[in-house]
Amino acid sequence: MKKKKVNIIVAMTVFALSLSACAKDNNANIVPNETASGTAGSSTAGESNEITKLKVYLKYFDDDTKKPYDYAVAELKKAMPNVELDLDPWQQDNFQKLKTYAATGNMPDIYDADYGLIKAFAESKNIEILDNAQATKDLLADFNPGYEKSLTAADGHTYAYSATGTGFQILYYNKKLFAEAGVNAPIKTYDEWIAAIKKFKDKGIAPMAIFAKEKWITNSFYKGLVTREQPEGYFPLEQKGLFQLPDPYKLASKQFEELKQAGLFDPNATNTNYDQASSLFYTGKAAMFVNGQWEIYAATENLGDDVDWMYWPAKDEETYENMKFSLNGAPAPGGFAVAPTSKHKELAIEVAAFLARKYAEYQYLQKANPIVSLKIDQPISITPPPMMQRIIDEVLPNIKGYAKFNESTELNNALDDNTQNLVVKGFGNKQFDENMERILKKINK
Amino acid sequence: MQGMNNMKTHLSNKKTIALFTLPALLIYTLIVAYPVLQALFRSFYEWNGLGGGTFIGIQNYIQLFEDPLLIRSLRNGALFALVLVVFQIGLGTLLALVCADPKVRGRKILKTGYFIPVVLSVTVVCQLWIAIYDPTNGMINKLFQLLGIPYQQYWLTSPAVSIIAIAFVNAWQFMGFQFSLLYAGVKSIPEQYMEAATIDGCSKWKAHLKITLPMMAETYKFCFILAITSGIGAFIQMLIMTSGGPGTTNYTLTFMIYRYAFMDSEYGYACAVSIFLVVLSLLATLIINKVFDREKFSH
Repeated sequence: MKKKKVNIIVAMTVFALSLSACAKDNNANIVPNETASGTAGSSTAGESNEITKLKVYLKYFDDDTKKPYDYAVAELKKAMPNVELDLDPWQQDNFQKLKTYAATGNMPDIYDADYGLIKAFAESKNIEILDNAQATKDLLADFNPGYEKSLTAADGHTYAYSATGTGFQILYYNKKLFAEAGVNAPIKTYDEWIAAIKKFKDKGIAPMAIFAKEKWITNSFYKGLVTREQPEGYFPLEQKGLFQLPDPYKLASKQFEELKQAGLFDPNATNTNYDQASSLFYTGKAAMFVNGQWEIYAATENLGDDVDWMYWPAKDEETYENMKFSLNGAPAPGGFAVAPTSKHKELAIEVAAFLARKYAEYQYLQKANPIVSLKIDQPISITPPPMMQRIIDEVLPNIKGYAKFNESTELNNALDDNTQNLVVKGFGNKQFDENMERILKKINK
Repeated sequence: MQGMNNMKTHLSNKKTIALFTLPALLIYTLIVAYPVLQALFRSFYEWNGLGGGTFIGIQNYIQLFEDPLLIRSLRNGALFALVLVVFQIGLGTLLALVCADPKVRGRKILKTGYFIPVVLSVTVVCQLWIAIYDPTNGMINKLFQLLGIPYQQYWLTSPAVSIIAIAFVNAWQFMGFQFSLLYAGVKSIPEQYMEAATIDGCSKWKAHLKITLPMMAETYKFCFILAITSGIGAFIQMLIMTSGGPGTTNYTLTFMIYRYAFMDSEYGYACAVSIFLVVLSLLATLIINKVFDREKFSH
């Protein structure tokens, strides 16, 4: 009996020790490297013969996120052979997983951050301030003009390295359907737009496909109308003491309402997702489609030469011409951020900057996408789709500006809700204006 | 006899009782009481979910009672609960009475059939109903069209009908669960009562009204608590089917919590809303308990 007890105690001890050894293994992020040459790489990792593992929490769920990551990792292997990335794929969960990591002190070394997260993490000190890092200075020197703003948050600090440029929303149209309905492209004025809707409806063509189940797209649509009158977008709405919705915003809500009344949107639009809306456009059932410039690749693949894009129509032709290069998009701080708790903080900063460069490089070289934050010295090896070529030739050299980024989450959420409501019958522009003024009273007091 | 004595000894031993209830009590405290107390504590803070936050007293509660979303959420919660009560308990009772009748053929198939939706995934059921509600190709509008009834609706986008349409999905899916409770309730009533009533010349439905239903007070109490608290705190169907929209049309209290905590990072305020939801659910439970007081129905 006694022997049995001793055996059990010994077995338990061995089991406990093996468990603690496993735990140690999981936590260890430096392992001896028997194969790495140790000749190239960072100052921190390159000098020793050890592999440093950095835990990264980055987007990796489709071609647009997987391919740039894989490209960057392959490049990292060449440049810093002693650094390995341990990927924890990003979840589309409003950063809840990352916030849980922060709350439990289990932060990854490098993670993807948007501006909302930056604000929350800056307050709770879960994000490294990168102002004085050499990598920041090096990146700034290589930034495309105009994009430097996306490196600095409202408090004047740099928290993340952005790879992408500022996306902007445009109106795609089906050339064939336009010709069939006798509508001239591009539609330049608001009156032309209303007339076009009638022509499409008479021909049994859906005027526009919009995935209004996602609120951000109705918000972008409204902002497209706003920026024809107020190029700074929603930024001027955040002012102490501003309680009345200024005229450009009221005009935009009125136009939105009238476009809806004319039949621009399908009554089921707020229950239509991206797949359904894009399918309507790509199968030739809808004449127009609203999305960012990133849709160019999918649109070209699906409609070939039958698709093109147009600027946002304005109240008259003069305004249209004056405002067409004021783009409907706003640069926001975000990108690759570093946790202050990282055991290899310096290296993590260096790698975060490297990833930003390589992601930008991938977009530029492999997708012929010139809208990236960093200058790429190498020439684009593939021919851009014609619609992208138009952006390269016509838009990029003439940009007057982007809308400015606005801080208030509350304002943005209210705009999301109320612009989605505007798509629905029974909710008018008056109600929209009233609701927005109620929010202004709250945030601007 | 010896066993009975042992049992009595154990039950009179307070230490034994404490020992047996302690694990359950500990688990309950850990997973229910502690989070509720934490939420109560945090509801007095301006807190973004990380760090310590700032103590602001009852400011979050003042803000809650001024929030226009509260009225909408309460209205939607009440409508949702009403639909659940009508379809799950109303229809569930009728079906339970029918299935309990030995003269009805195919009772086994019916019982199984009613319960099938309960075991399906909520996501699958929601997707199924999204297709059924589709205004162009959906089954309901097509049926109206076929019958020549001009009542085609935008079921999920119309602010007037969408909350009812969504609540119906929940009612349809979980009616089988309520049905099984009600059926068990009906079957637990001794048959002699019904036999005596029939001998006295009472019709079957009148006997159910006078005997079966009052004797099921305890079952109804549980069913009502389940339906009404589910209605007040409904969330998942809205999230999947309309994301709470259009706009905030289909918001409920739980959706408010989700929005303020996970979209706006206002965890302190979200805690205040959740405490309000807990209080409301407890209040509803208390009222239902009072209404279905067993004493009232015993004679």
